[in-house]
Amino acid sequence: MDLLNPYYLQIVMFFIINAIMGISIYFTLASGQLSLGAAGFMSVGAYVGAMLSLKADLPIIVGIIIGGLVASLVAVIIGLPTTRLRGLYLAIATLGFGEVVRVIFLNLDVTNGALGLSGIPSIPQELTNYAYEFDIDGLMGLDAVTWGNLMAIIILLVVLALIIAFCVRINNSRVGRAFAAIKADDHAAELMGINVVYYKMMAFIIGAFIAGIGGGLYAHITNFINPTDFSYHKVVQILLFPVFGGSNVVWGSVLGSFILTLLPEVLRFLSDYRDIIYGALLVILMAVRPDGILTESMVDKISRKLGFKKAPYIPESQVLTERFEAYKRKQEEKQG
Amino acid sequence: MLLELNEVSKSFGGVAALTGVSFGVKQGEVFGVIGPNGAGKTTLFNLITGVFPVSSGEIVFDGMSVVGIKPHRTVEMGIARTFQNIRLFGNMTALETVLTGMHCRTGSGFLSSFLRTKRQRIEEERCRGIAYEFLKLVDLEEDAEEVATSLPYGKQRRLEIARALATHPQLILLDEPAAGMNDSETEVLRQLIGKIRDLGITVVVIEHAMELMMNICDRLVVLNFGKKIAEGTPQEIQNNEAVIEAYLGKEEV
Repeated sequence: MDLLNPYYLQIVMFFIINAIMGISIYFTLASGQLSLGAAGFMSVGAYVGAMLSLKADLPIIVGIIIGGLVASLVAVIIGLPTTRLRGLYLAIATLGFGEVVRVIFLNLDVTNGALGLSGIPSIPQELTNYAYEFDIDGLMGLDAVTWGNLMAIIILLVVLALIIAFCVRINNSRVGRAFAAIKADDHAAELMGINVVYYKMMAFIIGAFIAGIGGGLYAHITNFINPTDFSYHKVVQILLFPVFGGSNVVWGSVLGSFILTLLPEVLRFLSDYRDIIYGALLVILMAVRPDGILTESMVDKISRKLGFKKAPYIPESQVLTERFEAYKRKQEEKQG
Repeated sequence: MLLELNEVSKSFGGVAALTGVSFGVKQGEVFGVIGPNGAGKTTLFNLITGVFPVSSGEIVFDGMSVVGIKPHRTVEMGIARTFQNIRLFGNMTALETVLTGMHCRTGSGFLSSFLRTKRQRIEEERCRGIAYEFLKLVDLEEDAEEVATSLPYGKQRRLEIARALATHPQLILLDEPAAGMNDSETEVLRQLIGKIRDLGITVVVIEHAMELMMNICDRLVVLNFGKKIAEGTPQEIQNNEAVIEAYLGKEEV
């Protein structure tokens, strides 16, 4: 089948990883913080994951999870001073952090400096080996390599689905309301009893964890990483996903990364004009829809139509009535 | 005394916003703070809620000092407030806005929200019930699903009060709740303040609408240029010469 050639399948994998990276920015943005540390945390996850499976011979999944955890640990250290910054200052500080991390990896011996790490065990490759082992080569007319790639995509999709489910469920909860309140007006949020510092920090750390996981997956898909993969250019690319697709909903990052990962491939026939068209499209979209393609109310409408979201069930409650009565009794006792 | 201020002073740089202000608010009363613009009324609220630290003096709430305590902790202690300029949360519906107010009285965290544990679901449901009760209290139950910031002005003011009440305070600070309201809206507000008192919540209110203040307040303090110039019942305040002078100026002799 032509559609399932390795080149297309790899684009799908990059789309999923890009979506995960976009969500890592979205998640921090949901608490009103513009952090541009995504590429930095991604590289931490990628390098830690790659070295664990390359040099310590740990299973890929363990490496990826530890990579994510190390990225969030780094976020704790970076976040303590930087989450107190607002707006552009936070963006600049985290951007600087990303560059520092890149330069560190560039100069360390264990990371092989500018040459980067190669021969990282790759998820599709491993799964292809399994496909040979379990003798599904040729099943349904697909060879083992295609099976390996398809299974890798399924695994990536499961990870993406978990992350989306996390975001959606958090969004519709006490924590999500705290994030939304902080994003809308952090001063008022603080005066409504929300621990703003705590939630900003948590958003920062979880965003870093997601980016670290994305980096680990990236390293084990491409099986080669070097510091330039995580440069300043990468952050801008990642930032575009939520901005393009809609930065107020998690689905925006998914849609944004889908379009922006496919677009360069679709526009390939334009050869030299490709980047011009790509840039022009971005400019047009930002002019027409400055909040991105998907907005909160749109997603709300769609999910109501599809029956995923119903009007909230409101149970009978007598708390205030009881309080009124208690007060009345107390006043009567005082008089009597 | 539920709230006691002792010689509270606050200066910003060299400018004294408040100098040596002392007064006490009794449990269950409606207490007014009046004074010309720039008298330091909102600064007073900001000190009580921990937005700024006091320069000197002491603020005691329910037997505990609130000096040096972070704003969100003062809410946990039982102090709620509204804002002079409406500060509702962007895209939230009215119901979500009130639910946000209940944040510090609930406990679901990241993990239980993700896993939708039974406890989390029960808590959410119970909160929605209570939040709806608060909306009914301020007469906004019809607008539960409306986006808060799209509501008309008077309703936004009442929603802000509902959000503050949802923090389950012992004391609520209302900063110019009647600002920009017409007569009928002000009347609704007057009744609402009565209801808040009947919930056993102590009210401190800043307001320029004198008729309303004289009507609802048990006692008032008057500030001028950061100093307390009078304290007493509405009758006493109305006949106080220093107050008349602050508002109308001194008669030339």
